[in-house]
Amino acid sequence: MNNELFYYQSKLERDGCGKPGRVAMFTQDDAIAAVGPDDLLDLGKRVIRELGLPALALYEPALPFYNSVIKKVSSGNTIIPTDTETRTFLHDIPFIRKSEFDDNLITRLTEMLGKRKGIMVENLGIITVGPVTLEQAYINASSLFHAVFVKYLLDLHQCGFSSENECEEFNNFRQHWLKPLSYPDPPLRTGLLTNPKDIYNEMTRTGSETVKAHLVDSAFGNISCKSGDVIYISQTGASLDALYGCIDPVPLDNSTTCGITASSELLAHRLIYEQIGDGVILHGHPKFSIIMSMLCDNSDCTEEECWNRCPVVRNCRDVPIVSGEIGAGGLAEKISPVIKNSGRVIVFGHGVFTSGRNFNEAFDAMLQTEVACRDEYFHRNRSNC
Amino acid sequence: MNGWHGRLLVIDLTTRTCRTESLSHNRLLTFLGGRGLAVELFQDYAHLDPFSADIPLIFTTGPLSGSGTPASERLCILSRSPLTGTLFDTTAGGSFAYTLKTTGHDGLFISGTSDRPVALRIQPSGIEFLEADSLWGKTTSETIAAFTACSVAAIGPAGENRVLYANIVFSDGDNDGRGGLGAVMGAKNLKAIAVEGDCLTTIAEPFKLELAQQKILRLFRASPAIMGPFGLHEYGTPTFIDLTNQRQMLPTRNFKATHFYGAKDLSGPAIRNALSPQHDSCHDCFIACKKRGGDNQRLPEYSALSHFGPLLNICNLQSVIDANTACREMGLDAISAASTLATQGEITGTFPNPDALKKILSQISHRHKEAKSLSLGSRRLAGESGHPEASMTVKSLELPAFDPRGAIGIALSYCTSSLGGSHVRGHMESSEILRKPVAIDRFSFSGKGRLLKIAEDAHAAYDSMMVCPNAFYAASLEEYAEAVSAVTGHDYSPADLSQIGEKIVNTEQRINRRNGFSVDDDMLPARFFQEKGTSEDNLTLPPLDKNAFSAELLRYYRVRNLDN
Repeated sequence: MNNELFYYQSKLERDGCGKPGRVAMFTQDDAIAAVGPDDLLDLGKRVIRELGLPALALYEPALPFYNSVIKKVSSGNTIIPTDTETRTFLHDIPFIRKSEFDDNLITRLTEMLGKRKGIMVENLGIITVGPVTLEQAYINASSLFHAVFVKYLLDLHQCGFSSENECEEFNNFRQHWLKPLSYPDPPLRTGLLTNPKDIYNEMTRTGSETVKAHLVDSAFGNISCKSGDVIYISQTGASLDALYGCIDPVPLDNSTTCGITASSELLAHRLIYEQIGDGVILHGHPKFSIIMSMLCDNSDCTEEECWNRCPVVRNCRDVPIVSGEIGAGGLAEKISPVIKNSGRVIVFGHGVFTSGRNFNEAFDAMLQTEVACRDEYFHRNRSNC
Repeated sequence: MNGWHGRLLVIDLTTRTCRTESLSHNRLLTFLGGRGLAVELFQDYAHLDPFSADIPLIFTTGPLSGSGTPASERLCILSRSPLTGTLFDTTAGGSFAYTLKTTGHDGLFISGTSDRPVALRIQPSGIEFLEADSLWGKTTSETIAAFTACSVAAIGPAGENRVLYANIVFSDGDNDGRGGLGAVMGAKNLKAIAVEGDCLTTIAEPFKLELAQQKILRLFRASPAIMGPFGLHEYGTPTFIDLTNQRQMLPTRNFKATHFYGAKDLSGPAIRNALSPQHDSCHDCFIACKKRGGDNQRLPEYSALSHFGPLLNICNLQSVIDANTACREMGLDAISAASTLATQGEITGTFPNPDALKKILSQISHRHKEAKSLSLGSRRLAGESGHPEASMTVKSLELPAFDPRGAIGIALSYCTSSLGGSHVRGHMESSEILRKPVAIDRFSFSGKGRLLKIAEDAHAAYDSMMVCPNAFYAASLEEYAEAVSAVTGHDYSPADLSQIGEKIVNTEQRINRRNGFSVDDDMLPARFFQEKGTSEDNLTLPPLDKNAFSAELLRYYRVRNLDN
């Protein structure tokens, strides 16, 4: 179990979510096991004991502007990010201000974590639960980080800084947290693969590189390769950097329902392949692409659920943006006609789908999309920055 | 009162009288409804013989019924099982729960024994005790057809003849799941219950409920298991045949093997190609996992397909469908019936001929001389035959359609379940097989005791809100806590619901202990620790490690505070 604790602890640090040395992970079976710095361990053990759950993550986010997210909320104790991960899975994020700390802090934390998958604590960090496994605590920790990141940068675009201190925090973020996006070395394969073993290996490698490049968070994202009459696709809930044994071969003739464990975006992948033939599809949640997809200039729009129902294909630079929800009746039908020509498309508030004749093309399209969106964000916010 | 009516209809079949008992708000807030409320009502009668006049047969609905919350129109039926001797509750879908609640009652408490066959018609204005001599002996569909413009619960010949695994069958084709509660109903000479009404469920905060419903539906749409191209909406539960076979945990030839050569002939795609089934659903359900054939016949669920198929070495789809239909007509539990036949098949060396199944099932239901032992269930049959090792049961309940060697959590759940060998207390297949809410290693023991305890508590809460277990391949207590809070006006957190569930499970365990069950009964048949499963595609299914299994069971008891 300690191996697993160390694994997710270092993963949160490597992902850029947790400050190095400020991530604590906890499990509880007939005893509590934990790794992390002493001050976080003490608090976390008390919370997990009260909750009675199998797992907990507690970490200080590696975002210099983290506390500003809370400070910007004028009333209430909840932030409601509008990205798709939050809308679907987190719903909202409760928080506690530093000024609200008292002798009942543990009780309060336990109460809040009894209702939601994760919470924010000012001047402390993010706490998330794993109702079933330690991996869940990690996934929730990563998702919350993603939601906070997207919300802050969106709000910044719309409202600007509220203090000089915040401006300094943001510059710190640009200079130290944001890393240049880079290609895998050695490069991904460029040929069209047909041997299943080669396909499994390259899918596994491409998934890892996508995570390494910070183009997807936690267990979101998916990847597939179509060869002949079979789509090889990552399983639902599989981490892209841990795909060994988590790839389903799904025959196109529907002769078996074993694909029930395939990614929830299987339908989107199938419809895309109907447009492009054999190839590779990669889906990630790169943050700036998501942020840019949520910036719409149409001030006359009356559509209340634009993230789901917007009929217009917008663009960020030359990357098309469509609306649509995850799963049945959602984004699948909207993506496929658009991606056929562009090889990439951003789904409002959700993520990026790219396609290519091979793994290298699909990855390259994802990387270039995020580079373009990152550049566009800072271009539009140059007066803020 | 929001969410509930606060009324229980108490019926005495001996005196043919009834009264309305008030259910206090506090009691309902504490036990929610469904399974929780039924267990609460049953406690003082739990020691009685299942066929005694005084033992109640309890039907309960949940606070979400009638609110429009997705997948929340299930019914709980509870009594003591004549098959297992345990406290036994089952749930049923369809529309009976919704309609029962429109009579203005949250549940029915039926005790006594009628001196002659009787049927009940229940409406908001009152109850009629109808003579049912002319219905006695009829199949369930013939009985149901005798009533119009209402929902009906009926027993068939199996219940009348007190076959130990007789079912109760409902007018939209659903039946209660296992345990012989149809026999309890038959022992009371109660042939049918018809309900109709127009009382509505009031909702405390409709806008909050709408938001909660949207969250739930969003998760349903995003779930491959529910709305995906191979999910329950598309194929129904038969979608699991291919998956469990591929995972080498499809029970085959009385659990002598775990992979079946003919599974593809019984799979979801096979059914679709042969019959082009139509969608069907419980009342107002988005998932619509039920399927009907061309003649409007309700098609088998996964468990019936598995047990009348691979478990009996049968790969003829029509034979399996016909056997399932026969069970419904006779009012027999398909799992127990097929398992008992499989036990006999192993003992005699001859599994039943597929063409003979209908006749055998009728003989069992009528307790004909040649099938009398079969009517007692697998354990008693095996015992009488001198081959107890051939019975795949826990606490006399025949194991369902997941071979325990294929998933440790499922294996443990068969032992800890207060019903006996059933997976429905913890639904560990959700995470061990379907990867929801998160994938866990099905072959690992690590932490499974605690995980099972958490799952059991959660499902006890779901069963008390009367939410369909299929919903939890996508949603969780988090979303349904918001729904039940909005309906009732009481602020429930997921942790609150989990605590209610824990209380219910612990109560059930205590009831069973008082009735003589002990940890010695919480164990799988020896086969699973001695024989390996089928090896295919480089996957070997070893026997379970008994020491590790027992250790994890002990850990479960410790986590549940049952080790004293």
